[in-house]
This record gives sequence, structure tokens and C-alpha cells, in this order.
Amino acid sequence: MGICVEVPPRTKRASINRRKEETSVKTKLRTKILARSSLMAVGLILVASQAFAGLSVHHIELAVSQAETAKKWYAMHLPCVAVAERPGRIECGGMQIEFVSRQSIGGSQGTSVNHISFAYPDVVAKMQQLEEIGVGGAGVRLQRFEDGNLTRDEDGVGVHGFIFDPWGTRIELIEAGDGPAFHHVHLASMDTKSTAQWYVDALGATATDQGVMLGDLAFHISENAEGRPAGTLERAVDHIGLMADDLNAIATSLTNAGVDFRGPESPANARDGTERILLAGPDGVRLELVAPGWDGIEEVSDNRVQMTAVNEPFDPPRTPWGEPDLQGMWTGNSAHGIPLERPKDADAEELTSDQAAERREQGTLRSIWGYEREWRDTTLGYDRFQASRQIAMIVDPPDGRLPEVTDVGNKALADAMARRRIVAAGPEDLTTYVRCITRGLPNMMMPGVYNNGLQIQQSPGYVAVQKEMIHETRIIPTSARPKSGVKQWLGSSRGRWQGDTLIVEVTDFNGRASYRGAGEGLKLTERYRLLDADTLEYQFTVEDPDIWTSPWTGMFNFKRDEAQYELVEYACHEGNYGMTNILSAARAKDRELSEPSGE
Amino acid sequence: MNSARRLCLALVMVLLVGCESTTTTSDGPAIPRGWDGNPDLNGIWQTLSTANWNLESHSSYGGRSEIGVLGATPPGLGVVAGGEIPYQPWARKRQQENFQNRYTHDPEAKCYLPGIPRAHYMPYPFQVLQGDRKIMMVYGYAEANRTIHMDKENPQPAPIDSWMGRSHGRWEGDTLVVEVHGFNGEAWLDRAGNFHSWALKVEERYTLVSENVLRYEVTMNDEEVYTRPWKISLLLYRHLEDDAEILEFKCVEYSEDLLYGHLRRGATTN
Repeated sequence: MGICVEVPPRTKRASINRRKEETSVKTKLRTKILARSSLMAVGLILVASQAFAGLSVHHIELAVSQAETAKKWYAMHLPCVAVAERPGRIECGGMQIEFVSRQSIGGSQGTSVNHISFAYPDVVAKMQQLEEIGVGGAGVRLQRFEDGNLTRDEDGVGVHGFIFDPWGTRIELIEAGDGPAFHHVHLASMDTKSTAQWYVDALGATATDQGVMLGDLAFHISENAEGRPAGTLERAVDHIGLMADDLNAIATSLTNAGVDFRGPESPANARDGTERILLAGPDGVRLELVAPGWDGIEEVSDNRVQMTAVNEPFDPPRTPWGEPDLQGMWTGNSAHGIPLERPKDADAEELTSDQAAERREQGTLRSIWGYEREWRDTTLGYDRFQASRQIAMIVDPPDGRLPEVTDVGNKALADAMARRRIVAAGPEDLTTYVRCITRGLPNMMMPGVYNNGLQIQQSPGYVAVQKEMIHETRIIPTSARPKSGVKQWLGSSRGRWQGDTLIVEVTDFNGRASYRGAGEGLKLTERYRLLDADTLEYQFTVEDPDIWTSPWTGMFNFKRDEAQYELVEYACHEGNYGMTNILSAARAKDRELSEPSGE
Repeated sequence: MNSARRLCLALVMVLLVGCESTTTTSDGPAIPRGWDGNPDLNGIWQTLSTANWNLESHSSYGGRSEIGVLGATPPGLGVVAGGEIPYQPWARKRQQENFQNRYTHDPEAKCYLPGIPRAHYMPYPFQVLQGDRKIMMVYGYAEANRTIHMDKENPQPAPIDSWMGRSHGRWEGDTLVVEVHGFNGEAWLDRAGNFHSWALKVEERYTLVSENVLRYEVTMNDEEVYTRPWKISLLLYRHLEDDAEILEFKCVEYSEDLLYGHLRRGATTN
């Protein structure tokens, strides 16, 4: 749905960022390198002995929703093979990549590790191959240059192009050498010179034309056009791991260079007693220096995260005026794909993580319509949150199925279906969603494929709930206020705090954006409460005795996403070209039907 | 401009200046304050001015005769400091064309988002929700809304051009100062065709004159359209009715004939 959006806002933002970043890369490197691949080879030989004795690249850690899915994706599209003894590890043309199943707070672009780079002998051919993959499976996101091309032959860089993995890591494909092989890590910096110098001073790296060499790993450094890049902590590329024979010698050197660091120490959840040092390089590049034998740390499974959320009572933050503080930027993205009713053949209490990821992806693919290009070519649809494993929204009745629908309810549903099939005589024959009027309640709260943002703003005695899609704001008074009696599309909402839960009762619907047949008689009761700092539980109880024989209740969670999400103006009606197109097509259909069929 | 109108404007300016001097001092009239000691702007506000018909001072004029006086514009003193908007010559011409085409071209006729500052002087109420990190304004027209970021580095670039722009706010003494930029340049400033471009940068100043009166001053800076920055100043009054609330005005359906009427079955043009 959502033919009203002209350009999905996130697409536009991504393209603005991309343009600036690429301009800066170009300016920086234009005159510097003639033949990158040969320089690289020379660099390798010259610098290996100049770094700390035994300092070598160990791994790059990427945050992904599912390590298993990520391994498959990398093995399918890049020169990577699984490492048998390590479940989350893959070897990619000379670089070990470690996948951690964890929520990230955003992609790598915009951080100080802007992208990682792979060398291919024929980048144009490789990009064409990736373009043909389509959106099936986990898909490949392509990042086009301003001129719409997937590759560019750039002075000092050569032929290159960019893709994204499905979890937000930006990946460059660069024409170099025999390939395919890992090529370099690309740092974005406020000040390229001092960044390079830092690696030389603190870690014994060697300066190169493009940046530095650290052991056998090339770091290219370019200026970040948008000022200071974000740090890498908890982003898609979380950190770079280096292995060193003697952590103590490095610790001494770091101390002498005035660098803050932690360790050497063996973290409590390390798989063995091996030590490591953690430090932040310039612009928040997170570096992990590990001793030989390092076997990583135990992952926290999402199971445990969920159990914590359910079992431990959470004391929510309060506003300065003493009400539970629900304010912030929430999204329903992780709940996208949860069916309203429990599937009849479901036998488990919840899905596995892999099933949940697949269900959400199917939901996305079913609903993207003409947005394939946007979904593929951009970061649209990226989500830092793992898909919800909830089996169905309905929690009451306990069987997860809607109560019996009355005859009136069945007739209303049939009428609604019939209306959808007619050739529209005018706007009134189309849904209120297509017309950019409203999705109605509770539909407007439900997660969809995009623009799932939910901003909650509080002032003393009021909670405003603003949904990004169509841009609708419900102002809910939480003091005792009689209802106005005025019938409205979204009814009249009145709230109250019961403990830490906000209970909102909604009635006085105008009935014109009915929910499954429930119109003016609909009564909706919502419950909002924080399960933890980042999880807002939303329960909705639906009543209309004309439609269902008993009330029923659904539930799903919104996740907080202050770091990466912001409501973007969803000017739906203002760009509703879909209306013009649908109605002119309907008039063409009229003409077709009124003309005698050709004999 | 005739001399009577000039006199009116002069009087308005004297009044405006007079008000300013008494409200910007901290020992001025008692005003409500929030949890943090800043003025508390929470409430439902609305203008009594005729700014939405025409920001510049104007006599009454008629409109569509088929709806009689309902289509007429009431007279107004204007809210522009100095009386006239300092348009570049081409832009004044364009404003006059806009005026001629106002029934079909005014974004308000089409139920499009109103932009800033127009949202504040339309003849509809709006509600201020002043929280501890952001201030949200929700307008009783077209589901328009805006968030004023009080908690972000100022100014942060707008992620995308928009009708309502991107707003960053700060307190200067007892005045809420909001910088707005990142407009798409589609909005009009009133029903008289006054307009701006994408280059517009707005500085709004909200100052409580008394418990229930809020002075709203705006500096408009747009080098593409005007010869210099210019200002408007008007008053917003608090709704004191016990049952005051922002009701839905989802006006889309009232614009559909205008926008899509030619595509209806049986329309003469399709």
C-alpha cells in the first residue's frame, strides 16, 4: 500500500549523504594514485616489518540480525567461505569476518569505518551480476552514483561501485589485481593527516598514499564531507580486530602515545582466558587488539534478551513532572510480518529467529509493489531490530483466532471486498488510505513495510501519538475530560495512567474508515507500557458487538530507535499521483467497456 | 499606499514596539512557567488577525460571487513590519498572478500542508505540547504538525526538503527562538498569493505577553525572492474554553473535486 508516497524519504536522505561522501572521496584521491593494485603489492612487502612485531589483522566484526543468514549472503555474493571451526566466522579473500547476531544502531556509512572493499578483476561484470539477483532472498542493495550508473571510473581510484549487505555494511567493489580478494578498510575522517599519523604513532602503522598499512591490512582514509563521522560502536561495522604477539608491548606504546585503552584483560564472557585490548581510534573507530589464541566472546542470544524483558520488572523513567516517560522515537519495524491471527497449522509457541527473519522478509516482498528499485538501490528497509518471533498478534482469545464474526460483520466484510473490485467512478470509491485521508484505527498503529515511525511526545496531562505514515497525530488527554461527542475518523481518545501503563479508550468514530466492518460502534482500548528502555508494548482491545460475538485483544511491540530514525514528513496527499493514475485508468476502462468489442 | 493606511501601519508599529519592551524583561508580567522555569507555552492557541487572508494591510475585497459574502475577504491592518513585503520586482508580479489564481493554486485550497509560519495564523487553533526534550505543535488544519528539536545540535541539516521545514529551538531569556530551514518552497504565506522559495530561512520568536497572550514574531529571509529580510508580528490568544481541543480537520476529501474532478465518471473533460 501507500501509493501516495512519491519518493520514500529515506531514499532521498541516503542519496544526499552518498553524494557528499563521494565528492569528498574524489577530491581527496583524484591526483594521488595511478595504479592502485601495484602500489598495494609494494606496500605489503615494504611495511610488514615496520609495524609491531607480529601485529596482523585478525578480523572485522559485523553486526547482523542472523549470523547464519549473513554467512550464506557473503558466501553467495562475495569471495567468502565458511570457517569450519567457528560458527560466526567466514573467510573472505584473505580477511576473516566475524558475524555477531546483534541489533546494530545503523549502517556503516556515516561512521568512521565507512565501508570495506573487495577487489574484482572486472567490477562492471560483477555489478551486473549482482543487479540481476533481484529482491528475492536476502537481496543485494545497490548504491547508484548520481548519474544512475552502478560503476564509475574515477581518477586515482579506478573502476568501482558500492553495494550494501542486508544489515547495513557498505561494501565497495574495486577493480584491482586478479581478485576476487579483500582489498581495504575505508576510514572516513575529519582530518585525514592526523588520523593517519595516529595509526603510525600509536600502532606502528606505515603511511601510504591512500592512508596507512597496519600489518598486512590497508586502511584508506578520506575526508568526511559532513564533518565528524559517527563512531563505530554498535554500528553495522562494529570494530576491526588485530592480533598482536605481545599485548603488553603495545600497551606501553599506547600509554606513551597518550591513547586511552582498556586491557590487556580477559573479559568475563571470553571463550577462553586469552586477553585483549580495546581502544577507540580517531573519530571513534573501535579497535580490538587480541593475543594469539583469541577465540571471541560468547554471544548473548536474543532468547536471553527476551527473557530478561519479560521476567524482570522494569521501572520506567519519569518525565520531570512525574508521569511515566514514553517519549521518543519508536518504530514498528520489528513487528512487521506478524499475522493478526495465529496460523491454523502453527504448533510452536513462537518462531525461531530464522523463521521470524524469513516471515518479515516475505511480508516486505509482498508489499513493496513498485518500490523494488527503491528497496534494492538504497538503505530503505534497513532495520536494526531482529524480526519479532511472536506467532500472532491476537493474545485473547488464547487460541490466537478472532472470535466468531456476526452475520452483520460478514456482510460488512463482503461489501468492503465488493467495493474494492468496482471501477472507481471517483475518489470516493477508493479506500481512505489510497486517498491519503487515514488508515483508521487501530489500523494506523499497525506495522507496515515502511514509514513505521511512531513519535510520542508528552506534556503535563497530554500524550501525543504521531504516526509517520500519512502523518496523523492523536492528542490524548490523560486528565479526566469528557468526550466532545464530535464524531471523527479516528474517534475521540481519552487516556489515564494506571500504574505505569497508559490506558486509552477510543470511541465516537465516524465509521467511514471501518476496521474489519466495525464502524461507528467500534470501541478501542489501548494499553501502552514500557517493557524495558527500548521496548514499548502496545495492546489493543477491539469491541463491537455488532461485528464480533466477544471482544478480542492483540499485541505487538514498538522498538526505540533514537539513533537512526526520525520522522520524515510524509506528505501523502500532496504527492498523490496514484489517485490521478488510478482514476485516469478507470476512465480508460470505462471507454473500453462502452465500446463495442472488435469483431 | 494611501495616507490613511500609512497612518494605520504607523500606529500598529508603535503598539508592537511598545509591547516588545515590556515583555522581554524578566520582571515583566506574571506568566506561567514549566518544570524547568522556562515559560510554559502548553495550551491551544489561535490568532484573531486576518493574516491568513493577506499578510499585508488591505481593504476588504470580494471573491467568488456565486457564494456571496462567504467568498469575500475581510479588511485587515496587516502584520508586516514596514507595511509591505520587500519583493524583488519579478516576485511581486508572481504574487499578483498567484492572487488571480488563488482559488485553484493556493495550497490551502488543495488541503496541502501549510508550511511555517502560515500554520500559526490560519483561522484554526493549534496545540503546543512542550515536553522536556522537544516541543510538538499540532495544527487544526490538514493534520499538519511539526517537532521543534530543543535537544539537537543547532542547526542540524534537514534530512530532506519538506513543507514544514526542520525546526531547532532554544530559549533566549523568556523567548522561545526557533530556526526553521529545509523548506521545499511549495507553500504560500496566505490566501493573497504571498510566497517564498526553497531558500527561505525563518526565525520565529514566541514571547508570552501575559498568561493568555503569546506574541509571535517571524523574520523571513529568502534572497531568491525578497530584497531584504522582513518581519511579521502578531498575537496568538489562548483558548480558555474548558472543553477546548484540537478536532480533526482532515480536509483532503474537500479538495478532491478541485484536484480530481476532471477524472470523475461523466466529467465533461475526460
